Amino acid sequence: MRFAISLLVFICLASLIGTVLPQNRSAANYIDQFGPFWFEVLDKFALWHIYNSAWFLITMAFLVTSTSLCLIRNAPKMLKDARSFRDTIRASSLRSFHHKHELNSTRTVASAAGAMHAWLSKQGYAVRQRQDGDSILLAAKRGSGNRLGYIFAHAAIVIICVGGLLDSELPVRLQVLLLGKTPITENMLIADVPAAGRLSISNPSFRANVLIPEGGERSAAIVNVDDGALVQALPFTLKLKKFIVDFYSTGMPSRFVSQVEVIDQQDDKKFDAIIEVNEPLRYKGVTVYQSSFDDGGSSVELTGYPLSGPTDLSFELQGKVGQTNDVALGASGKSIKVEVTKLRPFNVEDLTAGEPAPPKAMAEHVASVTGSAAGKKNTNLRNVGPSVEYRLIDQNGQSLLFHNYMVPVELDGALVLLAGVNDGGGFRYLRIPADEQGSVQEFMRLRAALADPQVRQLAVQRFVAAYGGTMAEQQALKLSSERALETFATGGLQAISKFLETNVPPAEQARAADIVIRLLGSTMTEVRNIARERAGQPSLENTPELLERNMVWSRLAVAALSDLKLYPAPMMFTLKGFEQVQASIFQVSRTPGKNIVYLGCLFLVFGIFTMFYVRDRRIWVWLKPQADEGNTHVLAAMTSQKRTLDFNREFDRFKQAMNRLGSTEGKSAS
Amino acid sequence: MNKLIPISPTTQAANALSNDWDDLSDTGDARSERVRATWSDGLFFIALAMGAGFALTRFSSAMDYYEQIILCLTVPLLTWLGWLWRPLRGLMISAGLAAGLALWLYQGDIGNAEKAFLLKYLLSSQSAILWMCALFVLATICYWVGIVSDTAAWLGTALTWGAVFAGVTGMLVRWREGHLLGADIGHIPVSNLYEVFVLFSLITAVFYLFYERRYNTRALGGFVLLVITSAVIFLLWYAFTRDAAQIQPLVPALKSWWMKIHVPANFIGYGTFSLAAMVGFAYLVKQHSQTKSWLKLLPLFILGVLLAGEPMVFRTQGLSATWMLYFGLGALIVGAILLFRRPIAARLPSLEVLDDIMYRAIAVGFAFFTVATILGALWAADAWGAYWQWDPKETWALIVWLNYAAWLHLRLMKGLRGTLAAYWALVGLLVTGFAFLGVNMFLSGLHSYGAL
Repeated sequence: MRFAISLLVFICLASLIGTVLPQNRSAANYIDQFGPFWFEVLDKFALWHIYNSAWFLITMAFLVTSTSLCLIRNAPKMLKDARSFRDTIRASSLRSFHHKHELNSTRTVASAAGAMHAWLSKQGYAVRQRQDGDSILLAAKRGSGNRLGYIFAHAAIVIICVGGLLDSELPVRLQVLLLGKTPITENMLIADVPAAGRLSISNPSFRANVLIPEGGERSAAIVNVDDGALVQALPFTLKLKKFIVDFYSTGMPSRFVSQVEVIDQQDDKKFDAIIEVNEPLRYKGVTVYQSSFDDGGSSVELTGYPLSGPTDLSFELQGKVGQTNDVALGASGKSIKVEVTKLRPFNVEDLTAGEPAPPKAMAEHVASVTGSAAGKKNTNLRNVGPSVEYRLIDQNGQSLLFHNYMVPVELDGALVLLAGVNDGGGFRYLRIPADEQGSVQEFMRLRAALADPQVRQLAVQRFVAAYGGTMAEQQALKLSSERALETFATGGLQAISKFLETNVPPAEQARAADIVIRLLGSTMTEVRNIARERAGQPSLENTPELLERNMVWSRLAVAALSDLKLYPAPMMFTLKGFEQVQASIFQVSRTPGKNIVYLGCLFLVFGIFTMFYVRDRRIWVWLKPQADEGNTHVLAAMTSQKRTLDFNREFDRFKQAMNRLGSTEGKSAS
Repeated sequence: MNKLIPISPTTQAANALSNDWDDLSDTGDARSERVRATWSDGLFFIALAMGAGFALTRFSSAMDYYEQIILCLTVPLLTWLGWLWRPLRGLMISAGLAAGLALWLYQGDIGNAEKAFLLKYLLSSQSAILWMCALFVLATICYWVGIVSDTAAWLGTALTWGAVFAGVTGMLVRWREGHLLGADIGHIPVSNLYEVFVLFSLITAVFYLFYERRYNTRALGGFVLLVITSAVIFLLWYAFTRDAAQIQPLVPALKSWWMKIHVPANFIGYGTFSLAAMVGFAYLVKQHSQTKSWLKLLPLFILGVLLAGEPMVFRTQGLSATWMLYFGLGALIVGAILLFRRPIAARLPSLEVLDDIMYRAIAVGFAFFTVATILGALWAADAWGAYWQWDPKETWALIVWLNYAAWLHLRLMKGLRGTLAAYWALVGLLVTGFAFLGVNMFLSGLHSYGAL
């Protein structure tokens, strides 16, 4: 038993490591974390998949063996002991018990024995009476089922371990080791996988994954083994008709449901089924669980906007999630790869993120938690519509991830389109002001116009002409605004502030910056008007209600144009349209050990409750006639496996009962 | 001997009825092992059955087939519990009536929580749970004052009962509030860290009250309620700073009738393990009551402070002043208990009794923890596709299970008693605490519902 306990402690510690160290990650991940040297060392102990490592399984095997041996050795003895009344005990040995009681009764042996026998039976004891010459021995026991508890609890551990082993990776690994199955490590079509990479349809134990796009059907799943995979044929074909995600009013998903059709070629049967989380499908010994979902190759319509050059050369691009397209970079002969990585039809976002809520006073705290438990926060959670995620890969293989929303969101009172870029530290978003159609088009035209020197010149001319004033004033104004616009067009606001820092004395910088910004704002309005004219749009009307909006738009456009200088890509894609195709990921498994484990669990519960709540007790009463006729000497002892306080109390009760029974003349014990 | 017990209308009657020599138990309940069920049990059963019938007809749409079976089985179960320990019936009836009153006041409109006076200040779930918190803290203080004053100790018991009443009412009302928020939002309030903390406090308190009466001692109240108080402090912090109290709809994986049995069974385990640990602490205090050397008390002090400090690991950023204060207070309380070990020890029941309570609590906890883990495995088989997959929470449940299995094994087989058993029970609480909370914070896994 000491051995078993040390094994248990060892298993505890090993499992502990397994919880602290994330399991089953890629080797690169661990090398990153521990460095190559420690990776090698720890790899020797298979710390990356402890629960399937040889040493862990061997320890488990030892535990099972040791517990089985213990059980085989002790169970027959226990059962025999439980059945026995131990009525061969001698009177003298009763005296050596810790809980014993002696008294002299005025009753005869037979009458006292009868009374005590009746009392013991009434208390639920099984009693055996043995005549020994003149004396009588009553041997009583109660709760000997307690011993069954031990047997069941220990048998349960063995059964659970064996059942668990059947459902572990072991059966598949044995097939790799003994039957020459070789996991596939390179990419290939399922149809091309050789026989050595396939597991039999009658494979008794496996846990595999299968991804099915909407409308698709599969009759094989993938079992991952180390860094490779084996193909597991299924006894039926699964067709995904539709994958549905339901949402709560709060935007949280409430259900993931797959509507599938099961096609059984062998029995020529077809039926529809619904698989959702907590409601797996069980058919032909295989259980199919909803484990996850993914994109099943949605098609997206993108609009591409070059971010440099004086002309607006937007173009359309048809893509599919998971596919890569080549896009030529202007006339340079270079191209860039666009890989659409994700389409999200819904995005529920908390738009107040990043702005910490003002601290509340304690009283407000208390007030805010009294009353009903209805939700009070998350009022800023909103569905902000579809978005697309794509990766741009340049010719050097450098790649960056982008995340753009399809429709504008209202931030600080203005409608903007968010264009995110992830250069390693999470997404940062560019806020592009939306035009009347809710698109980035006008902004992109403005960008192209600003990049055109002629437009800039024209804008300055118009601005100066509208200003009026003397010739000298106009000349000065023209010069400054030209320079401001030029600097901004080449380097953004950063360039302007740099220019001011180097050319203006510190004391006057604030005033100068104010002037430059105003010049820039006015000239940019002219640039915008020119861009609109070119696109055949009417100029901006400056009615009081529109003026404010146009000013906000210009301000945002200036900020976005400036930020665009830092945007790490030659072009930007916005989502124009999409057709979503979802895919459901199922886990399919055959677990022959499951029922064995459940049986073991049943045994365990039965065993534990029996062990704790069936208390075994034994009582012996030795009645011997005394020298004076008719009197009886009574010697009794009581024992139990567990000498708890309850037992002491029971013993006291027993003593009192004995005294009563011994002294009560001729009355029965009831 | 029962004159100090407040809620015991049945006690005296049962005392009078009981056989003179058959009854030697000193439980407050004054019944020996089994009594015959009386007409009151029958009435109670009928009342419960009517309640269940009402729920079945009125809210049948909110329950699936399994949940209806669970509801039906709850009726005999609660009747049985009420028969096992009579005061539970009083609790169930009064909390049921209070919750019924609250539902009536709501009139099906969640907005009434702000309008109706009784709801706003007493019966709405958040108010009731706040009352529970306040009463638990007061009860703890009373129990400690109870070391020198019987009246204060009596008050401690009364306040603990009050807190349990408020908490149970709050949970029942919370359940209904969820449904008032929206038909698809409501669910049994055992789904997130906030709700299970309330559950934990309630279960620990009820088990404590049971042992208090069974062993006829109030000296342990202060010890056990320290755990509850620290749970309450965490609860308040969690509710105030993280708005944890609001009802959230269930994530798809939790939408299952298994939750109704898995979680409560688990918390019977956690509750009784904590109780056992605090009794172990009391045991060690009593054992060291004559010790002069602080060196011998040091391990006890360190363990106590560690336990007090366990909720500290919740802070995600820096050491805030509040938590430093909490930590300091914890150390101070442990120090004070050790300083006044002699008068405290004089009040505590004998070492034998403490040992017995410890064993019983761990045995109950272990049995339920086993059941809970198995139920969890059955549920996981449906929800995650594998009954066991070495998820951190599962693995830690196994570690906790093995820890107490070893404790019980050594006790039953080798007669482990006394100091070692008590220290082990205390360390067991550290392990349990980590399995309960630490896993949610430090280790990512499938059980991240209670994440902070």
